[in-house]
Amino acid sequence: MKFPVGEDTTFNWDSLEAFKAAHGDLAGQEVTVLGPWLGGDKDLFESVIPYFEEATGVDVKYSGSDSFEQQIVIDAEAGSPPDVAIFPQPGLAAGLAAKGQLKPLPDEVGTWITENYAAGDSWAKLVTYKGPDGADHVYAFPYKADVKSLVWYVPENLEDAGYEVPETLEDLKALTEQIAADGEKPWCVGLGSGGATGWPATDWVEDMMLRNNPPEDYDAWTTNELKFNDPKVVKAIDDFGWFAKNEDFVAGGVGSVAATDFRDSPKGLFASPPACYLHHAASFITTFFPEGTIVGEDADFFYMPAPADGALGQPVVGGGTLFSVLTDNPAGPAFIEFLQTPIAHEIWMAQQGFLTPHKGVNPEAYQDETVKRMGDVLLNATTFRFDGSDLMPGAIGAGAFWTGMVDFVGGKSAQEAGDAIQATWDALN
Amino acid sequence: MELLLLAVGTIAVGVLGCMAWFWGSNYVLDAILPPRGPNAGDNIRRAGMIRPWLFLGPAILFLGVYLVYPVLNSIWLSLFNGSSTQFVGGDNYAWLAQDAKFRESMINNFFWLLIVPALATLFGLIAAQLTDRIRWGNFGKSLIFMPMAISFVGAGVIWKFIYEYREPGTEQIGLLNAIWQSLGGTAQTWLTLQPWNNFFLMIVLVWIQTGFAMVILSAALRGIPEETIEAAVLDGATPWQIFFKIKVPQILGTIAVVWTTITITVLKVFDIVFVMTNGQWGTQVLANLMYDWMFRGTPDYGRGSAIAIVLMILVLPIMIWNIRNVRKEMR
Amino acid sequence: MEGMAGRKSTLTWVVNLAALFLVVLWTIPTAGLFVSSFRDRDQIAATGWWKSLTSSQQTAFVRTGNADDQRQDGALYVLDGNVLTEGQELVAWGTSARDPGAYQPGESADVDGATLTVAEDGAYRMESATPFEMRRGERIFVTTSSPPKFTLGNYTRVLTAEGIGRAFMNTLTVTIPATVIPILIAAFAAYALAWMEFPGRALLTAAVVGLLVVPLQVALIPLLRLHNDLNIGKGYLGIWLAHTGFGLPLAIYLLRNYMAGLPREVIESARVDGATEFQIFRKIILPLSFPALASFAIFQFLWVWNDLLVATVFLGNRPEQLVMTGVLRELMGSKGGEWEILATSAFISIAVPLLVFFAMQKYLVRGLLAGSVKGG
Repeated sequence: MKFPVGEDTTFNWDSLEAFKAAHGDLAGQEVTVLGPWLGGDKDLFESVIPYFEEATGVDVKYSGSDSFEQQIVIDAEAGSPPDVAIFPQPGLAAGLAAKGQLKPLPDEVGTWITENYAAGDSWAKLVTYKGPDGADHVYAFPYKADVKSLVWYVPENLEDAGYEVPETLEDLKALTEQIAADGEKPWCVGLGSGGATGWPATDWVEDMMLRNNPPEDYDAWTTNELKFNDPKVVKAIDDFGWFAKNEDFVAGGVGSVAATDFRDSPKGLFASPPACYLHHAASFITTFFPEGTIVGEDADFFYMPAPADGALGQPVVGGGTLFSVLTDNPAGPAFIEFLQTPIAHEIWMAQQGFLTPHKGVNPEAYQDETVKRMGDVLLNATTFRFDGSDLMPGAIGAGAFWTGMVDFVGGKSAQEAGDAIQATWDALN
Repeated sequence: MELLLLAVGTIAVGVLGCMAWFWGSNYVLDAILPPRGPNAGDNIRRAGMIRPWLFLGPAILFLGVYLVYPVLNSIWLSLFNGSSTQFVGGDNYAWLAQDAKFRESMINNFFWLLIVPALATLFGLIAAQLTDRIRWGNFGKSLIFMPMAISFVGAGVIWKFIYEYREPGTEQIGLLNAIWQSLGGTAQTWLTLQPWNNFFLMIVLVWIQTGFAMVILSAALRGIPEETIEAAVLDGATPWQIFFKIKVPQILGTIAVVWTTITITVLKVFDIVFVMTNGQWGTQVLANLMYDWMFRGTPDYGRGSAIAIVLMILVLPIMIWNIRNVRKEMR
Repeated sequence: MEGMAGRKSTLTWVVNLAALFLVVLWTIPTAGLFVSSFRDRDQIAATGWWKSLTSSQQTAFVRTGNADDQRQDGALYVLDGNVLTEGQELVAWGTSARDPGAYQPGESADVDGATLTVAEDGAYRMESATPFEMRRGERIFVTTSSPPKFTLGNYTRVLTAEGIGRAFMNTLTVTIPATVIPILIAAFAAYALAWMEFPGRALLTAAVVGLLVVPLQVALIPLLRLHNDLNIGKGYLGIWLAHTGFGLPLAIYLLRNYMAGLPREVIESARVDGATEFQIFRKIILPLSFPALASFAIFQFLWVWNDLLVATVFLGNRPEQLVMTGVLRELMGSKGGEWEILATSAFISIAVPLLVFFAMQKYLVRGLLAGSVKGG
């Protein structure tokens, strides 16, 4: 075990004890878990598992797959699903729920999420899908979150040049123009991601949607009640274009935006002389900073600011992974219950790359100040909305939206891009 | 160790099992219809009608279960909606007919089918002819064959690096842009440069398949009887004439075999497109489009299967050509 | 003939040069990957691989110590150290990211009231009359030239990865039967299609060609479902069967082409001598076809060895079930982008198939020869 039980008092060991007391009767069972995590993420997740195994006597077998989406579909369809699956996207989970391949979780789980997670209603809504009977049930449990609305920078580069961290969206635009006027490139933007090229742009557009429109519009957008070619959406796309489609604003020029791999694009911040000063990316981007970069010292982030008028508060776009049960194995629901204990969050918080909206955990458990500040962005959000592209049907959120953004950056107008995406949406069954 | 024993055991069981089937069934056939005695003639004729099916039996079983059954299954699924719950008839095909991405894929596939087999065969032929005439030929052959041993995904990554783009004027880490820039050009994002980016993707497959073509064609070239070439040399034919007028016509059949195999590979290939562009910037092909609909986001088996069926229909001309070939052979 | 000889030697030169050109053109991409597998991630992203053999100039920054590290030297507060690592040479330095090469080695600069000097050997000394108070060290940007640098780290990392030995055994366990069994089944079928007269022969041959094109993706779900229904489930038996099924069309196609090209007289005379079809197959066709069997073995081996999709679907991807490609994929992490591992993996996984290729190269040539000459 990574952290010996009972030793470090920042952890909420009582919650483990309580969980153990309630689930003593599962010893000898085995539970299989299939998820998208590989490499380092896998090791981190597997550092949480022993606490569950120790408490229940259940043997947990995790396997990760880089083609998780394909794998889970094949396994579920063929009748050999894992006991628990970890979905990176709600769209796929909703699809499987509708086909009856996910087991509904007890209704209390929904109530629990509403009460114990920051912005609990949005989280609960996220995991409630229509079952094969057409009725709404809670089908998944969110565990591990990302914050997308962050802008990364190198503090000393900004200081040396005399720039200030912007507090409002207007300031951010002014700073962008200022840097460009000084003859340098303010932004590094990279949309490349192999087969998923285009997705980083969807995060931008979502941030822009929430900064100009009430969250209800955002919700309507993800269900297509608000059409993709609605002026509001087109304006959000254009707002993204204001940053990314200006030759003077992006390192490498507009032509490089779609072609640059998102994993390479933050490197421009660290070049000397700097290729750019700002980079919009989710919390996990730190993995791709050059080796030896100390976050909080060599690099830092600020919250992607909201407009000055403050009418829409401090909206935050985030992501998260969702745990679902696919079989009747009683150890599956027990594992979901384990994920509700604060200790299951704190073990990972104390390591790397983990944020949680769980209000019952001890924030001191975060590995360092920077991550704790990221966690605060999540906890302080006046509006929290899940990554919109993940809420849309797969053909849109993991298809037409990406392609549309690539085409938009490649020269199409926002209206044309919106029209094309809407056309695909209209053609869905 | 246990595992390897298991593997060896399986090979033994598999091989013995197959042998037992072929030998046993033939033995039984000969016992029931003995090729001697009063009815020998009849028996030989009847046994001759049954025997091919004994030889073909296991293969037909495997092909039937592992390939024909999934194909029938796809045809069936292509007539249903996305979650296979409702019969929709030809709706999926009607949708295909008007879908822009499908049209784009068909056009791209057409060019892939036109260009890749032609180039791979041509380069393979040139490489075969050249390496057969030099001392270090076998070494050269091995190097040209090497891409065959790299997985498609690995190859995709190798070429992604070659097409890599950095801001014009700065140091390029992609080979193509480095050369282009040193020649005075402005660095390009080759993979987004429509419509040429399709061509840049095709090069990857040509690079892989040339080795295959070379090995087979080189064997064929060596099989040409020496006399025909010597006669031409005595007649004063130039090397060019010998190659194009004497050698190539004699191996036309082999060229056709190579062409067929590569054509089928082209139809099925999606890894390269998937890794490098995922069909964006106008580079979609049928196999990747099918993958998108079958496994991306919320799967739609109906449409995915319909695309698969179209893909399989495209191979019909090659099948017909093969039927004619076999018939010719039998005469 | 004298004139011919002169022309011939020119021709030999042209042929040699042309061949060299082709071979080099075909090898460059692989060579790039090979060189990249000896570089670390930051190097790969910084310069082209072809420049890795010359000394390179890089600009990076080094942090001085912070307030805790200062010492007193007479009346001055001092922070000192060295900005270079072994083998590097200092070209220029600076104190701001915008102008990283502002000073020459040996020059001094003012930094917030302190004086910073960086000597030629990389030693720096920052002095100030007042104590330093910064929490993080000052950045010194250095442009350095360093000799070519290569690392075996990637190979160490891949070869010592957890479970790689087990995965190697798993892969062998999958690959060997999945190569041998289809060959055997295909050989019989190919013989029947090539040399036995029966109605539907041409149609069946064409059907085999048609089945070559069946996309794997449409077969995965129905077949896994079938395996589950038959209680084969996920495991070695399942993956052997699957690879056998998927490999058969190419095996039959290639072997039939070869066998059809065998001399008719040999088979006819054996038939006249009263040999049964089974005897002909075993005593004449099999030995004569050995080269063709070997050639297909290489293709099937290559394919199964490099496969990840069929393995994850039919074998599963728990740690103890992973094949080589699975472990290599896992090393690259959830978000990919570890190009150096990818390059290294490609070379490690290519090793065994290349060995097989070299071992069987002469059979490969002969194997495909006879069948194709006839034009199949």
